[in-house]
Parts: sequence; structure tokens; C-alpha cells
Amino acid sequence: MKKLIISCMFLALPFNAHSEYLYGITGNMAGAGHTWGMSNIGPSNNRGLRINGVYYQYTPVKNTEDDMLVHVRNKRIGGGYIFSETDDWSGLPGGIPITKGFTVDNLPIELWGDGSISVEGTGSVTDANVVYSYKYNNDCLSPLSDPSCPGYMDAVLAMADDYDATGYNPLDDKNITSTLEEQAEADKIEEEEEREDSGKLERILSSVDNSILASNILAQDLLMSAMTRSVAIDPYYEKKLSGGEYKEKIVLIGGELPDNKRGARVNLSQQLLHTEMVGMQYNQKE
Amino acid sequence: MASLILASCSSAYSADVPISGNVQTRCLITTDTNGVFGNPAPSKLSTASADGGVVPVVRYDVTLADAYLAKVTTPTAFSASPSLSDSVTWTGSTAVSKTSDAAMSGYEAAKVTYGSTTQFDLTKAGSTWFSSTATAVYGVNKSFPGGTYNAIIFAECIAK
Repeated sequence: MKKLIISCMFLALPFNAHSEYLYGITGNMAGAGHTWGMSNIGPSNNRGLRINGVYYQYTPVKNTEDDMLVHVRNKRIGGGYIFSETDDWSGLPGGIPITKGFTVDNLPIELWGDGSISVEGTGSVTDANVVYSYKYNNDCLSPLSDPSCPGYMDAVLAMADDYDATGYNPLDDKNITSTLEEQAEADKIEEEEEREDSGKLERILSSVDNSILASNILAQDLLMSAMTRSVAIDPYYEKKLSGGEYKEKIVLIGGELPDNKRGARVNLSQQLLHTEMVGMQYNQKE
Repeated sequence: MASLILASCSSAYSADVPISGNVQTRCLITTDTNGVFGNPAPSKLSTASADGGVVPVVRYDVTLADAYLAKVTTPTAFSASPSLSDSVTWTGSTAVSKTSDAAMSGYEAAKVTYGSTTQFDLTKAGSTWFSSTATAVYGVNKSFPGGTYNAIIFAECIAK
């Protein structure tokens, strides 16, 4: 089972194709003494850390007539020196600090052994300061970032140890099964209620929509009526009739008004036509 | 007539040939640290650390050995200051503060000082840092008026 998990991790973990160099410098490696190790340079789990510069400074303490050589060095893993610089102070006065910087051709940290600043002859050095500049990849800050990172397999195995997946079946877990049953029952009840409520809901929504529509129309009618009433009636309220009595001025001459037969015929014919038109609605054949 | 023809022919056979060249500098002067005046007493301005000042440092980068002289002149007047009604007494000095080669340690002993100028013989290729101190005293125990005071260190690289 554990092998299976590890295999899955290999497949699931993204392979980090993005890689860029970060740069840094050390503190004073000679601050605590005139020898120092190189194992703590840069962030932990770095991959491909390379030294690209060495800078040192110190003040020689000597008499002018004395012979003195000062060596600043780093051993090379496997033998010899990977960096070595010697200052010959023989016959020269001391007291003035010397500072030097060197570009190193990106030599891997794995090749760099312990560093030292040593005096050969008569004299000493004070205020020694040795600094290295370096660059490194940022894609292995976590060992799980890439299978090629140092410590990747150890990290994967550590994760697998923390995760015990053997002999566990979730369907045997009473808590899980009871929760699943409760959920299924609740779902069933909910479906039935939804089915029953769906018709009611549609009718309710339909009536609500109609009511809203009717109320909107009514409200608009009332609003329009109020507006037009105001416009139509106001002039009459403002109109004032001049006072006095209005007497009948028209006088009928002869005192006899004959019937208008022509008007009666026209009225009758229109009535007949109207009756015929109304009757046509009922006699219409489909 | 003949002489006229000869004269016109001779002018046709002359030409000005340009010569150009480029001299690459082999002595570079860079300000390493700007100086700051401290004011330890009302009548005194000083770049010395003990007086609360910052010592100015200038760096000479020479790529050709034994070809240049370094001349560093400490100030003898303020380049900017409030109006001063009394005299200012200046003192200054320049010393090698750091080298990039052990063989340059002899520069300090071999320096020549005249007036406010200190001259160093740059016999080795490499970098040399020179630090200068400058002190100004106003009148006789007279207080400097309030304001900003500026002065300039003059650094030269003279070909031998």
C-alpha cells in the first residue's frame, strides 16, 4: 500500500520546470576565528549553490623590516586549494588595511573546503573580514519541489510514514454510514415535498404575478385619472359667471311643430340595419 | 600663364588626412564616502569621527602602474555657507586608508604634502582609498552662524 502511495506521489507532484538563480553574500566568515567552514553558506536544501566571488580585508600588524606573508585560502575537497591568495608584506609597513576582491567562476559549493587566513613570518592580522558571494537555484527550497532535489526521497517517505492508510474501510465506519443514511432519508423527504409543492408554488407565483400586474395597472389608471381630473376640472373651478338673470330669448312663431317624417324614416332604417347586423352575428355559419 | 597652370595642378595633389584616436582612462576617481561636518564646539566644524563628523573617502582605481600621481586637496573655504563676517582657519590632512595591494602600503610613507594638497605616487596598479579630514575654526572662539555649510575635497589624477 505504501509503495502505491509513493508511486501516486511521484505522478501527482508537479515537476517544477521553472528555475531561476538567486544571489546572496555571506557574513564575515572570519569573524569568529581565522578558520571557517563552508557548510552553512546559503539557504538549506539549496541545489546548485555556486561561489562566484571572494572578498577579504584585514589590517597587517608588523614592523616594516619584518618578513610576513598572509595567505587567504580555501581548501579544495579532494586535495589542494580551490582559492588561494598571498600578500607579501616583507619590508613593507603595516597598519593600513588591505582589501581585495576576486571573481570566481561559479565553482560548486561541493568543491569548497574549509577557509583560513594565516600568517607566515613575523606579524599578525587584525580585523579580518572574508565574504563570499554565491548564487543558487530556488527550485529546491522544499525537497518535495522536484524529484531531483536533495532529500526528495526522504521527504516522501516521511510523508508516507505519517499517513497510515492500511486496513481502513470508510464504509465500516458507523459514523459515516449513519450520516449517509440520514442524508439519504432527508433527500427522499425533500424530493417528495418539492414535488408536492411545485404545483402549489407555480399557482401561487402565477396569482401573485397577476395580482402585481393588476395592481400596477390600477395604480397607473388612478394616477392618470387624478392627473387628467386636475387638468380638466381646474379651469371650471376657476371660471366665474357674471351675476344676473338669463331670460329666454327664443320665441316660437305659429305655436305648432309638425313631426319630422324624414327624420323618422332615417331613424327607422338605421334601427333596421342595426338589428340586421346584430342578427348576422348569430346566424353566422361555421 | 604657365605658372598659373602649375599652381592649379599642385593644389590638386594635396590633401588633409584626418587622424583620430581614443585614449582610454587608466585612472578613475570615485567618491567612496561623502563627508559630513560635525560641530563639536560653536566655533568648530570638523569631519573627524571624534568630533561627530564623517570622514570623506575617495578611491583611485589605476590600471597602469607607475604612471599617475594622486593629488588630494582639502578645503580652504566653504563652497556654501551663511554670510561670515570673520575669518575661518582651515586645517586638513589626507592619508591612505585602504589598499588593494600590499605593495601600496608604502604610499603613506612616501606621500608629499604642500599647502593643503597631499600627493601620492601611484606606483602599483590597483585601488587605493584616501581619507581626508578637514577642520574649520571661526574667528577666535566665535560661534558659526546657523545654517548649512558645504566644502569640497578636490581629487586629481595627474599623469607623470
